[in-house]
Amino acid sequence: MSAHGGRDREREMAETITVKPDAAFIKELLGSGGSDLKKCYQCATCSVACNVCPENAPFPRKQMALAQWGMKEQLLSDPAVWLCHNCGDCSTLCPRGARPGDVFGALRKAAIEKYSFPGFMAKLAGKPSGLLPLLLLPVLIFAAIVLFAPRDITVDPEFANLFPQNVLEPLFFAISGIVLLAFGVGLARFIKALKRAGADAPIVPNLIPAAIEIMAHSRFKKCGAERARYWGHMLTLWGFAGLAFMGTVVGIGTMAGVMQTPLPFMWDPGKPVESALKIFANVCAVVILAGLVIILFDRVADKAKRAASTYFDWLFLLALTGVVLTGILSELMRLLGQDPSMFYVYFVHLVLVLMLFLYAPYTKFAHIAYRTVAMAASRK
Amino acid sequence: MDKKLGVYICSGCSIGETIDVEKLANVARKEYKAPVCQVHQCLCGKEGVELIRKDMASEGVNTIVIAACSPRVKTAAFSFDPTAVIAERVNIREHVSWCQKPKDEDTQMMAEDYLRMGIVKAQKSDLLEPVSDAISKTIMVVGGGITGITAALEAAAAGYEVVLVEKLPRLGGFMASMKSRLPQHPPYSALEPSDVAEKIQQVTYNPKVKVFTSAKILKTSGQPGQFDVTIDAEGKTTEIRAGAIIMATGWKPYDATKLGHLGYGLSPDVVTNVEFEKMATAGRIKRPSDGKPPESVLFIQCAGSRDKEHLPYCSSVCCLATLKHAGYIHEQNADAKVFIIYKDMRTPAQNERFYRAAQDHPLNFLTKGEVSKVEKGAGGKLSVSVNNTLLGEDLVIPVDMVVLAAGMVPNSADGEAIRAFEDAKLKAEKGDSESQRADAAKKAEELKGHQGTEILNLTYRQGPDLPVLKYGFPDSHFVCFPYETRRTGIYAAGSVRAPMDSLHAEDDALGAAMKAIQSVELASKGKAVHPRSQDMSFPSFFLQRCTQCKRCTEECPFGTLDEDEKGTPKPNPYRCRRCGICMGACPERIISFKNYSVDMIASMIKSIEIPPEEDEKPRVLVFMCENDAYPALDIAGMNHSSYDACVRVIPLRCLGSMNIVWIADALSSGFDGVMLFGCKYGDDYQCHFAKGSELANRRLDNVKETLQRLQLEKERIEVQQLAINEYTKLPALINDFMDRIRKIGPNPYKGF
Repeated sequence: MSAHGGRDREREMAETITVKPDAAFIKELLGSGGSDLKKCYQCATCSVACNVCPENAPFPRKQMALAQWGMKEQLLSDPAVWLCHNCGDCSTLCPRGARPGDVFGALRKAAIEKYSFPGFMAKLAGKPSGLLPLLLLPVLIFAAIVLFAPRDITVDPEFANLFPQNVLEPLFFAISGIVLLAFGVGLARFIKALKRAGADAPIVPNLIPAAIEIMAHSRFKKCGAERARYWGHMLTLWGFAGLAFMGTVVGIGTMAGVMQTPLPFMWDPGKPVESALKIFANVCAVVILAGLVIILFDRVADKAKRAASTYFDWLFLLALTGVVLTGILSELMRLLGQDPSMFYVYFVHLVLVLMLFLYAPYTKFAHIAYRTVAMAASRK
Repeated sequence: MDKKLGVYICSGCSIGETIDVEKLANVARKEYKAPVCQVHQCLCGKEGVELIRKDMASEGVNTIVIAACSPRVKTAAFSFDPTAVIAERVNIREHVSWCQKPKDEDTQMMAEDYLRMGIVKAQKSDLLEPVSDAISKTIMVVGGGITGITAALEAAAAGYEVVLVEKLPRLGGFMASMKSRLPQHPPYSALEPSDVAEKIQQVTYNPKVKVFTSAKILKTSGQPGQFDVTIDAEGKTTEIRAGAIIMATGWKPYDATKLGHLGYGLSPDVVTNVEFEKMATAGRIKRPSDGKPPESVLFIQCAGSRDKEHLPYCSSVCCLATLKHAGYIHEQNADAKVFIIYKDMRTPAQNERFYRAAQDHPLNFLTKGEVSKVEKGAGGKLSVSVNNTLLGEDLVIPVDMVVLAAGMVPNSADGEAIRAFEDAKLKAEKGDSESQRADAAKKAEELKGHQGTEILNLTYRQGPDLPVLKYGFPDSHFVCFPYETRRTGIYAAGSVRAPMDSLHAEDDALGAAMKAIQSVELASKGKAVHPRSQDMSFPSFFLQRCTQCKRCTEECPFGTLDEDEKGTPKPNPYRCRRCGICMGACPERIISFKNYSVDMIASMIKSIEIPPEEDEKPRVLVFMCENDAYPALDIAGMNHSSYDACVRVIPLRCLGSMNIVWIADALSSGFDGVMLFGCKYGDDYQCHFAKGSELANRRLDNVKETLQRLQLEKERIEVQQLAINEYTKLPALINDFMDRIRKIGPNPYKGF
């Protein structure tokens, strides 16, 4: 019912466009998870199965046709691509095995590639051959810090002995600035494209309610196919948000000289703020680890083949998991006094953290921003 | 023949528990003085059958009435030689015992009436006389395409002589001019080279097949088993005799000049699918305007098909042809873009797999849509506008070439229209009055397109070719009986019968060959073909009393009867399907069968007892088509669905064999109403004899006059169209009619 009503409405909005199929785009989709794209014969089972699509603009049936025809412009400026939460219902129910969910995954990757700034970074992040240069940059930075940074060695085994805080903190704040700038350019391009394609919702004011919806996972919950994914994603996002908040506060605190690391591990009545923050951070670490374990297990044990797992997915997931694991491990080793092997682990941790953040606008990490904007754009 | 009647009543299958069989036997013994009358508890069993056989041998019984189950069952047990024994079955199981109240007075009366009717019918019947004429078993195949060649090879392989007639100088038809064939083998995803050349070789060198090319049929006269055909081949005239004919004349493409709205004629770069195939077969596909290989080609599906203004039907092959052509294009240039605009992709049977394979090509772009215009665009390209697409946008697609996937038109000729044209032409010249001549001239003008389109050139009174349905396909009861046409012994096969691809055409050829063989074999035994297969009765005409009204010659759906100059019918018994429609048509009642006649049915009607008015037992006569309604009533009986016991059912070979005198007889002898059950008629008719139920309905208009004359209510007659699967509706139809009759009240002619 909703699929048909939606098609009528689509019809009203129909505009005449001159068709120039982008063959390279089709091949790009076929090679990045959407290999079954061409099998679609437009029965619209997918649009009927989808729980999260808006009633007046059902997907993914129409997007499948556009993708088959290589209509890059139309597709990448369509918020529907980001409204999909990849539950895989459409893929498992598709009578032709066209796997619309996987095609949407490929489309999201293509969108990040198209809008992100600078574009070549996304190209590097999108293929395995780009991994080495991406790794090399943070490795060299931290190697340089280890070798050349001025340090103030204390007696206790402490990371700051090798990675001085007065170097690390400004470095990370500078990188945050670069990342925010890159994101800003990419999202501005995306918003421009959305508006050109007819999105008339006030996008910027809508960002807050969209972010609340994302944190509450209310749309994700509608993707009822698999409850585990819902929990996995929610724990990961909340854990991540907590750690990001905590990291920022501690970063500012140490830079301003009001706080000193390491924060006390146990409750210290003399340092109530510091101990509370530390306990909160450790709880967040456990939460995000639990979320990631669920997500990873879900992908590996995906017997029903609900969704494809591409290089693009793994790069982000494993980088994030690596950050969490090395972070927890570093902390434990420090507490157990595992000097000097703890420094190697911490080195890896820092490299992964830098990778995760520096490349966020170009990896799957970017979905956090693009999805928020798309959801804001499609709000009533 | 001196008849000695033997009546056998079965009390098995619970008949004896419902009906007083001894009382029933007394009807035979006392009313009809049957010299032999026996009751047995299992008549169809070995002992029961032996009882009958013994009486035949020792007592000289030669006229048997078996009151037991439906004549549609136990046919093997109760099988008697119709040239030696008259055997009549009375259905007291399905039509009485299984559907009526046990041991009830009305039930008993019903069984007794049925027995009376059966005995009277047997008394009025005569033995059938076997015929044996010289029958040719040669099979003539008209059309040397894939269907014709296959039919010829199949018939030859079954041991029959075959004559294959082809109008072109070469065999192979369309298939011989095609680059590739659709997939024939698993996994049905890739095109295959055409194997028609191999088949042409086989048929050319087959000693049982005589091939005529560049041939034309000048004349086909006679009847099944005795068709005399004059063939003109390469300037030489040959006479042959054939027993059956397979018409496999194939198809022609729809006239693309009528497709100007899709750009045909606008530019040489707009071509039809047949033209495109020719291009591919000749070598490289080139853009006609500049000879360059196209970089982009757009296919318009259903070009003139499923379109009220053009071909209203689906040709079932154009979608596949287009997918094939997309393959040709990518074979030549892997980077060429192919657009396919369809109404629905229709790829029947295993061809779905071919569709899937074609769809996988990244540069095949398919969408449902409506092509609104084709124009010349910039840079020598064509610009195609498509609305209502699945992409949610109206599209303008610039392409190098446009291919119109146009449909199939049968290579048939409308025999009845040709005859009507000739009649009108004659009348326009020699009509009685000025206005008659003017009307005839107008009609001749309308029909002139049919002039000179003859294929078989039959010398039949009803026209020189097979009758066709409204789209020009030779008439056939396609639902149940493919290949059948309305000319006995002539079978249509391949795409002249229905649009189809070559694989189905080959299947069709085999089916039609089997039907042709069946036809000559049955003719050689003097037996009818479908649907009264094995029937040995023939209609006979008492011509001394014929008034030359021509109703029989015009109404016979099978063109059985020719006419002499005066209009007297000239029977061709082997063309006859024994339906009796001529018998129903004849106002003089001079047409009868040995075992089916106007007098026989009239006597059966008279044999039914009409209770006096004060008994309040109305009687309604029911004529039932024996192909659908009668078996439906059997099924109702098997399901033990009960209905009013005041009806008396008489099965008819076809409702078209109903002579309206029976209705007049029934009403004037006190029946309170008459019900008629025939098959569905119209474009999707279900009548086994094509026109029977339609003709019966038309005749009923005259009955209305009879009713007026008798001053009876017209509601006393009702006609129903009933399919065999509608048996659940049947009891209610009967009961509702009985309720209405009871409301109207008794027939005032009772007791006269």
